[in-house]
Amino acid sequence: MLLIHCPYCDETLPEVEFAYAGEAHIARPENPSEMSDEDWQEFLFMRTNTKGPYYERWRHLHGCGRFFNAVRDTVSDKFLTTYQAGAPRPDLDTLLPPQAEGGK
Amino acid sequence: MNAPILAEVPLAHSAAATIRRAAPRARASLRLRGDLAPFEAALGLTLSGRLGSRADAGPREGLRLGPDEWMLHTTPDDLATVTSALAPLYADHPHSLVDVSGREVTVVIEGPRAAELLTIGCARDIDAIPDGAARRTVFDGAAVILWRDSATRFRIDVWNSFAPHLLDLLVIGTRELAAETS
Amino acid sequence: MSFYRVPGKGRVDLSRPVTFTFDGKTCAGGRGDTVASALLAQGTHLMGRSFKYHRPRGAVAAGSEEPNALIGTRRGPGRFEPNTRATVQEIYEGLQTRSQNTCPSLKFDVGAVNDAAYMLFSAGFYYKTFMWPRSFWDKVYEPFVRAAAGLGVCPSEEDPDHYASRNLHCDVLVVGAGPTGIAAARAASADGLCVVLVDEHSEAGGTLLSEPQAVIDGVPAWDWLARELAALKDTGVKVMTRTTAIAYYHQNMVGLCEKLTDHLAQLPDDTPRERLWRVRAGQVVLAQGALEKPLVFHGNDRPGIMLAGSAQTYLNRYGVLVGRRPVVVTSHDSAWFAAFDLADAGAQVQAIVDLRADVPEALMQQARARGIPLKLSHTATATRGRLRVKSIRVNPVTGTGVGSPEVIACDAVLMSGGWTPSLHLFSHTRGKLAWDDDRTTFLPGETPEACVIAGASRGLWGIKAALNDGAAKAREAAAALGRAGSAPPYAVAQDRTGSGVSARELPTDLSPGRAKAFVDFQNDVTAKDLRLAVREGMRSIEHVKRYTTNGMATDQGKMSNINGLNIAADALGRKQPQVGLTTFRPPYTPTTFGAFAGYHRGAHFEVTRKTRIDAWAESHGAVFEPVGQWRRARYFPQTGETMDDAVRRECAATRAGVGIFDASTLGKIEVVGPDAVEFMNRMYTNPWNRLGVGRCRYGLLLGEDGYIRDDGVIGRMGQDRFHVTTTTGGAAHVLNMMEDYLQTEWPDLNVWLTSTTEQWSTIALNGPDAAKLLQPLTDVTLTEDAFPHMSCTTCTVAGMPARLFRVSFTGEIGFEINVPAPMGRALWDTLWRAGQPLGITAYGTETMHVLRAEKGYIIVGQDTDGTVTPHDAGMGWAVGAQKPDFVGKRGLARPDLVAEGRKQLVGLLTDDGSKLEEGAQIVFDPAQAIPMTMVGHVTSSYDTGTTGASIALALVAGGHARLGETVHIPMPDRTIAARIVPTVFVDPDNARIRIPAPETEGAAA
Repeated sequence: MLLIHCPYCDETLPEVEFAYAGEAHIARPENPSEMSDEDWQEFLFMRTNTKGPYYERWRHLHGCGRFFNAVRDTVSDKFLTTYQAGAPRPDLDTLLPPQAEGGK
Repeated sequence: MNAPILAEVPLAHSAAATIRRAAPRARASLRLRGDLAPFEAALGLTLSGRLGSRADAGPREGLRLGPDEWMLHTTPDDLATVTSALAPLYADHPHSLVDVSGREVTVVIEGPRAAELLTIGCARDIDAIPDGAARRTVFDGAAVILWRDSATRFRIDVWNSFAPHLLDLLVIGTRELAAETS
Repeated sequence: MSFYRVPGKGRVDLSRPVTFTFDGKTCAGGRGDTVASALLAQGTHLMGRSFKYHRPRGAVAAGSEEPNALIGTRRGPGRFEPNTRATVQEIYEGLQTRSQNTCPSLKFDVGAVNDAAYMLFSAGFYYKTFMWPRSFWDKVYEPFVRAAAGLGVCPSEEDPDHYASRNLHCDVLVVGAGPTGIAAARAASADGLCVVLVDEHSEAGGTLLSEPQAVIDGVPAWDWLARELAALKDTGVKVMTRTTAIAYYHQNMVGLCEKLTDHLAQLPDDTPRERLWRVRAGQVVLAQGALEKPLVFHGNDRPGIMLAGSAQTYLNRYGVLVGRRPVVVTSHDSAWFAAFDLADAGAQVQAIVDLRADVPEALMQQARARGIPLKLSHTATATRGRLRVKSIRVNPVTGTGVGSPEVIACDAVLMSGGWTPSLHLFSHTRGKLAWDDDRTTFLPGETPEACVIAGASRGLWGIKAALNDGAAKAREAAAALGRAGSAPPYAVAQDRTGSGVSARELPTDLSPGRAKAFVDFQNDVTAKDLRLAVREGMRSIEHVKRYTTNGMATDQGKMSNINGLNIAADALGRKQPQVGLTTFRPPYTPTTFGAFAGYHRGAHFEVTRKTRIDAWAESHGAVFEPVGQWRRARYFPQTGETMDDAVRRECAATRAGVGIFDASTLGKIEVVGPDAVEFMNRMYTNPWNRLGVGRCRYGLLLGEDGYIRDDGVIGRMGQDRFHVTTTTGGAAHVLNMMEDYLQTEWPDLNVWLTSTTEQWSTIALNGPDAAKLLQPLTDVTLTEDAFPHMSCTTCTVAGMPARLFRVSFTGEIGFEINVPAPMGRALWDTLWRAGQPLGITAYGTETMHVLRAEKGYIIVGQDTDGTVTPHDAGMGWAVGAQKPDFVGKRGLARPDLVAEGRKQLVGLLTDDGSKLEEGAQIVFDPAQAIPMTMVGHVTSSYDTGTTGASIALALVAGGHARLGETVHIPMPDRTIAARIVPTVFVDPDNARIRIPAPETEGAAA
């Protein structure tokens, strides 16, 4: 079971309080009805499925209830960072290696 | 099966902890964003604390659950007062106030090993919740609000339909802890 | 006192005798004995038969790594456990144990013919033998494999014990309470950190329990141990014995299995048998120590042949001599100390046979002083003795080869092939292992977890090294938590350090092709099997493992992995790290299903949600069904009624009078805010702008793909307030989906969502008499004009605050009354009483399903399956085509969704009146060749309704254009013909839903 840092509660908490919510930074188009079938298909179905650092969404379902974003390494299952919804996509180069969890 | 939650006597009692149902309270979910000041003035409660912090004034208790979400507990009579105090704010400060008094029951867990008892169902570090704070979390698969009144007194708000399941585990755990020799 | 018990030795309390049975025979021991130590104390080495060859076997080890001495334990009905290791099972008064793999008895076993047929059962036997002919599989091979498969006998009765679980958070978790772990716990706890120390044994101490001669800081080892444990307790360290760290998961989550009652004669009340701890530690110190390796030579598996370190443990911890005339065979210094301890306790050590030419002079002096014959540069080549070793054959090894044999009579062989650091938990962390050529073993390298590994588990040897390393590593862990930690260096006298060499199979003058030199005792894998696997093309150690089964089953290669690797690497002509090590997987030792299940069994298996009216239903004989987590009343059978009888009666009564139904499980969401109507427009297919306050509308929710996700009636309670209902099973999902859009796509909307599912108890009244029943209880005027169909209002019902909806899921006059949940039962009782003169009938979900199907109302998830659009379901009318956008609008325009020939919802009436099966496939042409082209399936089917016919709903390709056509439903015994009809079977004009105008006075009878 993972520990996940909620950027709203500012606490690192057990995964059981959270729900996964798919890839991050895929905005719903402004005017879907004007999109071509190809573009709509791209939005609806295509995901990057990265091996390595992956931008994804979680919801602190049984906590503050907020959706937020995370960068998780899909190989090691380590979270590189979590950040509030609407915040810009962090640059991978600037993400420090994860720090050891502190004391109790 | 709904009978235990209606009982007034302790639902379980041992040297470790006592489980009982709290007296009925009025509860409301308050949702708003932007300027908190008018609401704090209308309610007489501080709303601006960090998530999980509580404030109380008279019969009213306010708990900040999310950036735009508070849980208010008060007496049934006072809820009408709260409702009419907030209504005039709506036009300039849109918000949502929903009466959820009937949604949950509150269970009180009190005793020297109350905190330890909670570890049978809660993956959170109970000791990391400050006295006088509260958190929404999960207890044995049920969404709950866990109020830590002191190191030895907790309250759990749980939706009606989950209460028998949750109480079942608390009763088992109360006996189990009491049977420990150490 | 038994013949092999040594007075004054060990920690077993013989003044507290314990009796138990082994294969029906009563045995005696003392408090603190294991089954193995008690049996060895009476001279019994034979404890079981091996898995494949049924060879006689005894305990080869003294701990949880034991591969041979597996027993079944029993204490009364339901309390039977197979494959328990005799070396860890503590004895208690009344314990019953049985040997395994024996038929008919332990000493005479017919399965042992497999042993004679050894050449047939070599590596890959099953793969090679059971390939052909195909026809042999069912009748010959599978029964054979099933009979031979598995260790022990599966329990057949329900387990009467209960099991528990707990979460535990600490700063430092120390795994292993040997000298390393104790020193680590001391150092970490010095700074006030919260420390937990766990050990799988019944008492803490680890190797100290087997080495009482050591003197630590001037104090004898056992006194020091007692003092340290007391000090740990004083500083608040939680010391847990009989607790195995079974697995290491992400981010320092370690699973512990604590055994609470398996050593007790009397089972205490309210105490679980086992408790699974989920520990989340800031830092983990792994101090699991090292495991001794056996030597690989012909006949190395006979009862009486065991690891030298284990023999030392049996003597020093349990006071048991495993033999009076042992021979020691070793390639490591450690076994010399075992020889000395046994000699000092009265054994006549027949010889120390060491593979090495050079042995430290100090050891040789001590051996000579005890008169032990020494045979350096010697190998062991065979043993004799059917049920217990009687002699060992040893040969000198010279530069040119193996010399002439000599046979030494003995009653035990103590062997040591050196030590393997226990890296199991470390490997669970995905920690990297580094090959150490000097020690011929893997040592721990980097790990991604906040974890340190100390003492013998990283290759250090000796008590002093263990203590100081434990302390040093704990200080590292404390430093990572921002504390200093402390511990002075330890001084140890009479420490036993040493070194050795690692061998593959021992050199021999006998034919290696005939040798039964066991590497994996539990799976009967020999050195020859491993070499054969390599010859037959296995290159990866993972393939070798699966081909030979080396390292599988309950011991998971604890003793065999490194020996197996060394032999496979030699056969491949490659270095060990190039061949690799198989993955260590959790759990570390076998763990019961009970421990994993914990509290979740029986009635507490999972959450069962019940409404406030559930108790009424139960007391009125309801039969329940699960709907999501809810249990709902399905029907209310009266005496002698079948389900069909009951449902027919409930349906008829509801259409004729009034039915009452508990609809409390419906999902409810309060949508409030100035942008509520805009939000509803964006979420639902329907337009909401013109829905007046006090009116309801049926809403349809799609996914962005255009498929139906959920539906429900939505009431506008105020200008900015909607009362949204969802399906019972979809409530949580719908709220999550709405929150997702609101928080991440439309954060500008001023609207908030609150789950009110459980705020309300919801009672539905349906039937021509529904208004007649309700009117006296409310001040709302229940006429067609004042409160028409699809109205809603806030009011009082029977004096209770209520939200009243005029809606119908049956086609009859219908009301849904919402009152605060705690009042639900009181309202139900009031309505029930008031309805008696009208013949009110309670109905369940089954009747609700039938009545709605007669009206062609869909149930999302039954008549839809995630690929059905509103148009497919015949509900294009619910789609607000004029709206610029809503969730799913663009999806509905996808090419596939507007294509011809989509499966569409239709009604079916069978020609012969028989009832169709839900899920049955539909074809157009029943005469076509198999496999037939299937064009749809039956989604709902009932013959208990009020039309007198058997009705069905079905998805049929192009169905809307095929009204009147006949389709066919092939069943195993026949093909049923059915006619496509509209989905509405009852009252297509909706006349029944209207409340008749009050009869005029003149018309009154």
